[in-house]
Amino acid sequence: MSILTKSWPKIDPLNIDSYIRQRGYEALQKAIRKKPPEEIVSEIKNSGLRGRGGAGFLTGEKWEIAARTPADEKYFICNLDESEPGTYKDRMIAEKNPHQIVEGLLIGAYAVGAKKAIIYINGRYIKQAEILKIAIDQARKKEFIGKGILGSAVDIEVEIFQGAGAYICGEETALIESIEGRRGEPRLKPPYPSVCGLYGKSTIVNNAETLANIPHIIRHGGKKYSKVGSSTSPGTKLFILSGAVRNKGIFEAMLGITPQELIFNSLYGGGLETGKEFWFAQIGGGAGRLVPAGKLDQPLTYGDCEYPIGSGSILVIDKSADIKDYLLSWAGFFHRESCGKCVPCREGTFRLWEIAKRMRNGDPRPRDRENVEDILWTLANTTFCPFGKFAATAWSDAIKMFGEKIFK
Amino acid sequence: MSIQKILLKFEPKPENTLRAIKELAKSEKYLSKSECEAIARYFSLPLARVYSTASFFDMVKVKKEAKRIIKVCSGGACLSGKSMEIVRQIEMQLKIELGNDAHPKFRLELMSCRGLCDRGPALEIGDNVFEKVRPETVDDIIRNYL
Repeated sequence: MSILTKSWPKIDPLNIDSYIRQRGYEALQKAIRKKPPEEIVSEIKNSGLRGRGGAGFLTGEKWEIAARTPADEKYFICNLDESEPGTYKDRMIAEKNPHQIVEGLLIGAYAVGAKKAIIYINGRYIKQAEILKIAIDQARKKEFIGKGILGSAVDIEVEIFQGAGAYICGEETALIESIEGRRGEPRLKPPYPSVCGLYGKSTIVNNAETLANIPHIIRHGGKKYSKVGSSTSPGTKLFILSGAVRNKGIFEAMLGITPQELIFNSLYGGGLETGKEFWFAQIGGGAGRLVPAGKLDQPLTYGDCEYPIGSGSILVIDKSADIKDYLLSWAGFFHRESCGKCVPCREGTFRLWEIAKRMRNGDPRPRDRENVEDILWTLANTTFCPFGKFAATAWSDAIKMFGEKIFK
Repeated sequence: MSIQKILLKFEPKPENTLRAIKELAKSEKYLSKSECEAIARYFSLPLARVYSTASFFDMVKVKKEAKRIIKVCSGGACLSGKSMEIVRQIEMQLKIELGNDAHPKFRLELMSCRGLCDRGPALEIGDNVFEKVRPETVDDIIRNYL
């Protein structure tokens, strides 16, 4: 079952007509000509669509809060600041079918009553930003963007904002801070951005993959979409397989699929590379949990499952790998990307990185063992934003799974 | 182009600071103090505000970098593509240590994921990004920079 990737092979990303031939912008026309904004919000609510960025918040509910907030100005932001290790799904959507994102963004902006939409793209995705710029220009010529869209009274302006290389700017409030021209440090929530966001106005921040689902939902109705996949998190999701798996790349699958199937089914991963033996998998990028071989049968959904889906990346690690390299990789990543706003995270990730370096060089100090426990507890429980918790996840799991072995 | 000319491309609203900072850092490689002051004057912001934004982001430098920085991706996907072996190979070739500042011309660092997982392992030297680097071929890449 594919929703997002179905039309990709038939689409020329630089040509809007090829997208229109695949029923593109039909949903936008339907929305603007036939549906009042409230109806679109309730359609998305009925679909049960959850945010594909990682947290899995109900998109419809987010939109409803923003739509109900009285404001003279509202903003709608597409979050394409993808920088989770092992994740490149949003980059692929932008490369293969940029209009899917633009159409979703326009419908969203219309539904909540935003006149200004912004695509916040990772500063390193230079080619993809160019593709999106071309897509926006073409859509403007077709009267999908600008003043009086399709002859109606709806005005929506779309612009692209290129980031400057900071992982934390994928967090919605840090993203907003950086658009305002400040350091990309997260804000205290609540108030949530849907009430008080960019320039203090009601703002929606949605992941690019979430928005790519919107045209399909509007075309086929929310009820129909809610029947696809798992009952608590309907729809399909782009999974990214990497590591020791035979077929690497992006695969679209229904939510509720198990990691077992994704890794070993020949439709997706097709098992491990020849001569390699499965050790463990990391689900959800650098902030993801480690899954041992015995636990691969847990369905991947949002909310109620043991192993959060995160960004949807699945890294397969085989027995020839050195766990210390991975520990250094995780600790180094979170040390580099910590924004420095709160002490537990700034210091904790730094000390964890130092210990990881000592472990990789084979001379850990006697106190490192207990210090790691302390640091991980502090990161998981006391940081300002979830970043600290993410930094502790993989390490905690590695200690649970491998115990004292990793300190030798 | 002079600093003023570049700045005039942007409306003097605080929300354009990051855009202006990026634009200036692009042409000059790093932001000097006088450039930061010019930005602060143009946007009517305290100099500290401009510095705080400029120093936060990876893609903007506020100090002149004397050494060539070699960055190897350490994301999970590149790691399973043997990026640590690439690190060891460079360490041997340049007689350098990861993260150490002792070498007069080079510094070797790990970098965060660039989203090139399908084309990894990735290696970055200055503005150039190399994809699908192998431990066996990395010598040839480095040799061009000696």
